Amino acid sequence: MRKLTSALWLSTCLVLPVFADEQKPANPIIKMATTTSTQDSGLLTQILPNFQKKTGYEVQVTAVGTGKALKLGENGDVDVVLVHARADEDKFVAAGFGDQRYSVMYNDFIFVGPEEDPAKVKATKTTTDALKQIAATQSPFVSRGDDSGTHKMEKKLWDQAGVKPAGEWYREAGQGMGEVLQMSGELKAYTLTDRGTWLATMDKSPLKIVLEGDKTLLNPYGIIAVSQKRYPDTNHAGAQALIDWMISAEGQQAISDFKINGQSLFTPSADPAEVKPATEPAKTN
Amino acid sequence: METISSATWQALQLLLSGDTALWEIILISFRVSILAILLATPPALLMAFMLAFGQFPGRRLLIAIVNTALAIPAVVIGLTLYLLLSRSGPLGEWRLLFTQTAMVLGQIALAFPLLVAMAHTALQAADRRAWETARMLGASRLRAVWTLMYEVRFGLMSALLASFGRIIAEVGASMMLGGNILHYTRNIPTAIALETSKGEFAQGIALGLVLLLLAFALNLLLHYFQGKGQIAA
Amino acid sequence: MNELIFHQLSKHYGKRCLFTELTLPLIAGQCLLLTGKNGAGKSTLMRILAGLDKPDQGEIQADGKRYSWRAYRPQLQRQILYLHQQPYLFEGSVWDNLAYALTRGLPRSEQHQQIEAIADWAGLTALLMNPAKRLSGGEAQRLAMARALLRKPRALLLDEPTANMDQAARLLTLEMLEDLKRQGLRLMVASHDPDWFQAVTNQHLAL
Ligand SMILES: Nc1ncnc2c1ncn2[C@@H]1O[C@H](COP(=O)(O)OP(=O)(O)O)[C@@H](O)[C@H]1O
Ligand SMILES: [Mg+2]
Repeated sequence: MRKLTSALWLSTCLVLPVFADEQKPANPIIKMATTTSTQDSGLLTQILPNFQKKTGYEVQVTAVGTGKALKLGENGDVDVVLVHARADEDKFVAAGFGDQRYSVMYNDFIFVGPEEDPAKVKATKTTTDALKQIAATQSPFVSRGDDSGTHKMEKKLWDQAGVKPAGEWYREAGQGMGEVLQMSGELKAYTLTDRGTWLATMDKSPLKIVLEGDKTLLNPYGIIAVSQKRYPDTNHAGAQALIDWMISAEGQQAISDFKINGQSLFTPSADPAEVKPATEPAKTN
Repeated sequence: METISSATWQALQLLLSGDTALWEIILISFRVSILAILLATPPALLMAFMLAFGQFPGRRLLIAIVNTALAIPAVVIGLTLYLLLSRSGPLGEWRLLFTQTAMVLGQIALAFPLLVAMAHTALQAADRRAWETARMLGASRLRAVWTLMYEVRFGLMSALLASFGRIIAEVGASMMLGGNILHYTRNIPTAIALETSKGEFAQGIALGLVLLLLAFALNLLLHYFQGKGQIAA
Repeated sequence: MNELIFHQLSKHYGKRCLFTELTLPLIAGQCLLLTGKNGAGKSTLMRILAGLDKPDQGEIQADGKRYSWRAYRPQLQRQILYLHQQPYLFEGSVWDNLAYALTRGLPRSEQHQQIEAIADWAGLTALLMNPAKRLSGGEAQRLAMARALLRKPRALLLDEPTANMDQAARLLTLEMLEDLKRQGLRLMVASHDPDWFQAVTNQHLAL
């Protein structure tokens, strides 16, 4: 049975590109750097085949932290970046590494913590109150500490709460979301997580959601093509084709159709004003 | 290319300027690994001694087990200890996961088979006459063991250095058991993994340079001791 | 009585029998010369006497009683010292090697006195601070003898002691053996070149 399915899988892999599309692009490989959240959640694995079938492009995804994803873009190692760190994205464009930032979607963050909820976070309504209480009770809190989008969001939230987290209760792990959730479970600690990783791992976790829905917890994703002026040999046409598809009605529908345990992870949020981009999209042929 | 040279330059500046964050990580690394070696060495030497000179059933099997243990990837050792120390594991009560103690335990587990295997080889090369002479001259068993080890000290030193080199550069088990927590369990290899994932190449290279220098120093020492060992033999 | 006699000593390796039912007395103030071709079993026999190797069977008659080899082994190891054909000298100086044989906890002055006396006897006084591993064959043999004597053994077994020596060193060794006999020590010398030891030999055993 297992053999049969893997044989089928193999044959689709081989056949797909051939039947894909009549007008195969000149440079069919698009290199994209993105954050672990989009890859680990399974979003890209679900929606990218639609794009690839339609256009004949093949998207090669490198899933890393936001910081490194942008760095890969700055170095011209990839053609396009899909990340969630608004301020850095704007800096990236302003510095001339990318052409224009397009809104794609957002997901949201949630706070999870031990069932006993020693800091009584469940009783709070806002991030600010929640964080103040965690700090006041010195309840263990695990921070990503890896400069990822989630980490940046967390730092911003502490700032807004007016708390400088420090001390033995505050642990900067420097690891991915999955690992940090695992650590928090072991240490009976609070942590901030994106909903996607939480949904994918909640079955095995002893933690519970203690705060969700606050406006400050929304996490917008942007997609940026690496500047062709800066790096002429990038696959700019491919990058733009991918962006166009992601913000098209079809792409946006695919994003909202992606569900885990019956819940959408990402909410499409393409800005209609951006759908007709300022730069002429390169013709694919 | 530009990235490498500029990152290396920044790295050197970080190191020489005594960047406290950087040196803290280096200090944690050394503290954990030196403690692990210190704790692993006595039992490892004892076991190597028994394997080299003892006559007991299962000796060959034990040697085979030690040599197999050498081939176990660090992450597997890390994972096994993780499961033992996890809240839901049998030793969960101890609350050791994500502490330096857990890292020390992981590094002991990593160093132990290498120490035993290399010390065993060194002791096997020892002259049987050394043991007999010590005993005939009235040395207690313990003193005779000590004498014998002293006679092959260069080989044993190589074992120590090689094991230290193995654990101080190891990332998998340290990451899993220590959790890479800033100020507590972030050591050189886990910090390199983190800095690289953040795109902070200068920090990563600075720490990489420390490991490189260390490896170089260890290798020099190793050659020195191995050369000594050959001349003595 | 002060006797030390081995009875019914047998040893074989595989199918090869080295000796069977051997009786061998070690007599105070006498030297027993053990001869035989290479591989005859001289070293093996001496190692058995010193309690290092196990015989197939064997008994010891000592101080009026008879013991099995096994039961008497700890005493053998203490009383009978075997000098390897190439004696093993520890890392360190000649002095260090001599000090190794002294009971620990001996007062410093006593230690110095014993080491200096034995070094003088063995002609090693000038070499006391030299590294032991660098000694010549004759010097090494003399150091090994001196070191063994500090244990005050009942018997000293020398395995081919003159193998690595020149004429002068051999003569010196002979003189030392004579002296030890005069002191009442039991000696046994293994050699495939028996002529050298005729002068000191009291009994001769050929394997
Ligand atoms: N541990 C051992 N196992 C098997 N054979 C041995 C062992 N030790 C010595 N022999 C054999 O016993 C014989 C006697 O050896 P040895 O006593 O050293 O002879 P010798 O000193 O007279 O030259 C040799 O043939 C040697 O190979
Ligand atoms: Mg011999």
